[in-house]
Amino acid sequence: MIRVDGVLVSRGEGGVYGERMLGDLRVWDPYRSKLSALYHFGKGIDLEPGMRVLYLGAANGTTVSHVADYAEVVYAVEFAPRPVQDLLEVARRRCNIVPIMADAAQPEQYAALLEPVDLIYQDVAQPDQATIALRNCAFLKRGGTLILMLKTRSVDVRSEPIVVFCDAVSELGSAGLVVRDSTWLAPYHHDHAAIICAKERTTA
Amino acid sequence: MQSYWFGDAENGRCHPCSGNAADLADRLLSLHTSMDRFVLPDWTMARDCGFCRDRADYLAKLRDVCVVIAKRRIREKYRQKDTELLQMVRTLDELDTVINLLSGHVMEWYQIRQPSFSRKYCRTPARSLVRTVGQRSVGALGRVVGDVERLSETRTMLARDVSGRADEVMPNCSALIGGLVAARLLLHAGGLGPLARLPGSAIQVLGARTALFSHLRAGTPSPKHGIIFQHRRVHNAPRQVRGRVARVLAAQLAIAGRVDFYRGVIAPEFIERAQARIDAAGRVP
Repeated sequence: MIRVDGVLVSRGEGGVYGERMLGDLRVWDPYRSKLSALYHFGKGIDLEPGMRVLYLGAANGTTVSHVADYAEVVYAVEFAPRPVQDLLEVARRRCNIVPIMADAAQPEQYAALLEPVDLIYQDVAQPDQATIALRNCAFLKRGGTLILMLKTRSVDVRSEPIVVFCDAVSELGSAGLVVRDSTWLAPYHHDHAAIICAKERTTA
Repeated sequence: MQSYWFGDAENGRCHPCSGNAADLADRLLSLHTSMDRFVLPDWTMARDCGFCRDRADYLAKLRDVCVVIAKRRIREKYRQKDTELLQMVRTLDELDTVINLLSGHVMEWYQIRQPSFSRKYCRTPARSLVRTVGQRSVGALGRVVGDVERLSETRTMLARDVSGRADEVMPNCSALIGGLVAARLLLHAGGLGPLARLPGSAIQVLGARTALFSHLRAGTPSPKHGIIFQHRRVHNAPRQVRGRVARVLAAQLAIAGRVDFYRGVIAPEFIERAQARIDAAGRVP
């Protein structure tokens, strides 16, 4: 990851969403992007040039554009038509973004388009986030990583975030993923947790 | 046989697809993949079967197909009649807020200019009062009043449009509670599909979120009505039966919403029956 004086940046064409530039580097604001917040805590896995990434919940493509600056290809899945319009515009200028308009909860809708990926990044506002992640793990290479941004308030506004978090971790764990690390994203994002899982090389 | 976006694979042999991105998209949309026996393709497969030259070519083609599909899906979504109505209602309600806010500010401002002016014992309705203020004021204040008046005209026009569009999009709901209120229900549900899937009990308190959550959290009395309160049969009902009217109306609306979504045309015999039940609920025993 590229850092300039502690500021996380990515190298690419600027002006996607009015982000600040440092020379030809685009500042990746932790308050706007959960993935950036995660890197500010020194967690997560570094994005590398050869990486193939499946991005669930791509929204307007702001975080996607930064991921695309680092990775080889980003498969960006988003369901709502309004944000997809923006995502298409971002993808038009960045040729390593494959925009997929489909429901992340139904991976069979886009399975025919994908290839095995090194990283799955999920940021969807749905009640069954862990289940969605597990369904998509079919696309993950052995030894690959899943970064789940758990929006606890989307799961259940009435339960305590910590309870929701524990439920999600145990659901992921019992499905055969290894939970490597996790963190809350406060003060950048409230009631959001990042869960980093690995798909083991050996287990079936 | 496994079907991928670039071709079909069978017994180690592969037939690449030909044609442009639109043709590939057509074919892809007709494919059905089931997850349990699906083998992810490797891009080298596409190269070996002669579909693409190299990885860059593979990704470029894939991207083109995906863009075509996404554009098509967006167009499909926007062609649904309720999408524009949602924006229209949202703008309408926002206009109300803006007009009220600005009128308030204008009156305050005018009072400063005319220390003897007071709204007390003034029989002119608020809107004409704003107009009078405009006539007597010069400069920016007069212009703001002019803008408020133009906004009010826009609002009247938009309200008529919303009502007309709602009659078209959701004829049964509109017949029961009127186009404007029906459109607001639609807005809070998030579309005709979601509205059709809501139970009557949810429709009854749609728009009473604060009251509902304070009921669930702190045990305050449950809300009897949300948006449907704006309908005359609810707010004109005597206090002791108002909850019942709201409940019966919401139950009938739940049916009406489903008829609107799945059939899309007015069902006169249903409307007649529903009206009778709602009227009966409003009678004080």
